[in-house]
Amino acid sequence: MFMNQFEYFAPKTPGEAFELMGRLGSKARILAGGTELVILMKDRIIRPECLIDINNIEEFKGIKYEPGKGMVIGATTKIADIQYSEIVKRKYYALADAAGEIGSSQVRHMGTIGGNSCNASPSAETPTPLVAYGATVVVSSATGEREMPLEEFIQGVRMIDLKEGELLTKFKLPEPSPKLVGRYAYMGARDANEIDFVNMAVTLELEDDKQTVKSVKLVMGSVFIKPLISTAVTALLTGQKFSDELAAKAAEATQGEAKPITDVRASAEYRHEIVGVLARRLLKEAFGAAQEV
Amino acid sequence: MKQLIKLEINGRVYDVPVSPRDVLADVIRKKVGLTGTKKGCGMGDCGACTVLVEGKPILSCITLAITCNGKKITTVEGLALPDGQMHPIQEAFVNQGAIQCGFCTPGMLMSAKGLLARNPKPSLYDIKHEMSGNICRCTGFKRIIEAIEVASETMSEGVK
Repeated sequence: MFMNQFEYFAPKTPGEAFELMGRLGSKARILAGGTELVILMKDRIIRPECLIDINNIEEFKGIKYEPGKGMVIGATTKIADIQYSEIVKRKYYALADAAGEIGSSQVRHMGTIGGNSCNASPSAETPTPLVAYGATVVVSSATGEREMPLEEFIQGVRMIDLKEGELLTKFKLPEPSPKLVGRYAYMGARDANEIDFVNMAVTLELEDDKQTVKSVKLVMGSVFIKPLISTAVTALLTGQKFSDELAAKAAEATQGEAKPITDVRASAEYRHEIVGVLARRLLKEAFGAAQEV
Repeated sequence: MKQLIKLEINGRVYDVPVSPRDVLADVIRKKVGLTGTKKGCGMGDCGACTVLVEGKPILSCITLAITCNGKKITTVEGLALPDGQMHPIQEAFVNQGAIQCGFCTPGMLMSAKGLLARNPKPSLYDIKHEMSGNICRCTGFKRIIEAIEVASETMSEGVK
């Protein structure tokens, strides 16, 4: 399996990258981690004439946290760096957890957080918790920047809001409330190195009485063309005293919202069932964790 | 069109002419001549081609060699100590019987090296989780996991 011949460019600054993108246009593909792109090239599904490797651009990588302001994660930050980051674990636990469930250790050391979103696979791991934490993305070009919620950037299966000449350069996560907890769960064929049938993230915060839900957000992955935010869970639980019955009711409601399909990995029927199971489990787990904060 | 790149493999610098489409596994095996690194699936699933780039385990069969220009690479040939003595991880694999046909072994060793460098005392879960990208079709993994546990103990005793 040989790839087609192509020209390789490794810009060192954002300016160089934008200049190349402007000059090469649709002939070029962006190389981030390569765990998807190189495989597609080896399979000859895509045959780009040029590759622009953006991994040598310092401005596009790294995890920066500023208390009170939140976190900025560069698009070419490796998944493993997010998985192991103490500050990510502390502030955005569900994101670190989801990062640790991507592929294998090798894939996590190669793959990038930007690639995981730009690839726009519905079964991707990190977009689910990122959306749950209210992440926005910054899309940059030679002429400026645009910022939008991640759930708008991802438009559908392999479809993202990126125009020619634009690059996803960073993710911005708002500072979480000190009492907010985030949890992530997934179901797959085995425990590691698989592609999720369904994945899910919940963020939840309780009032001072440790019983009443102050805020809750549940996001589902792999059951729609893009990350799906449950409006029913927020409506059913906000302002209510948490109970197992309420969690079961909310979980049932998520099953009405999910629009899973049947594919090589799982049937729509199975996914539908699992949505309810994961939602119930996650809501209870998040509630338990929020009581401990 | 070939371009000259510099790869520092196991402490020695190699200047290699590569085409942008050449993957690191092929360059290491065919151009540099270090055939310890294996190519299994060629699609990033089996882990046989694992090498360390800047100390991190990566899949050399889906890494373009040109992206490693100027970087430090460690292959299985770089594990043994300069006097020829086996690395504690290699010794543990041999002593625990964690090798049968041997094809997955170089990748297993490099993943284990990457794991123990970051986490010298991994739990059983850590070992299983972090080694899940390396597939062995002979041993059933049990002895591989045990070997990594033994290596972790030996290495933390400071015996090298």
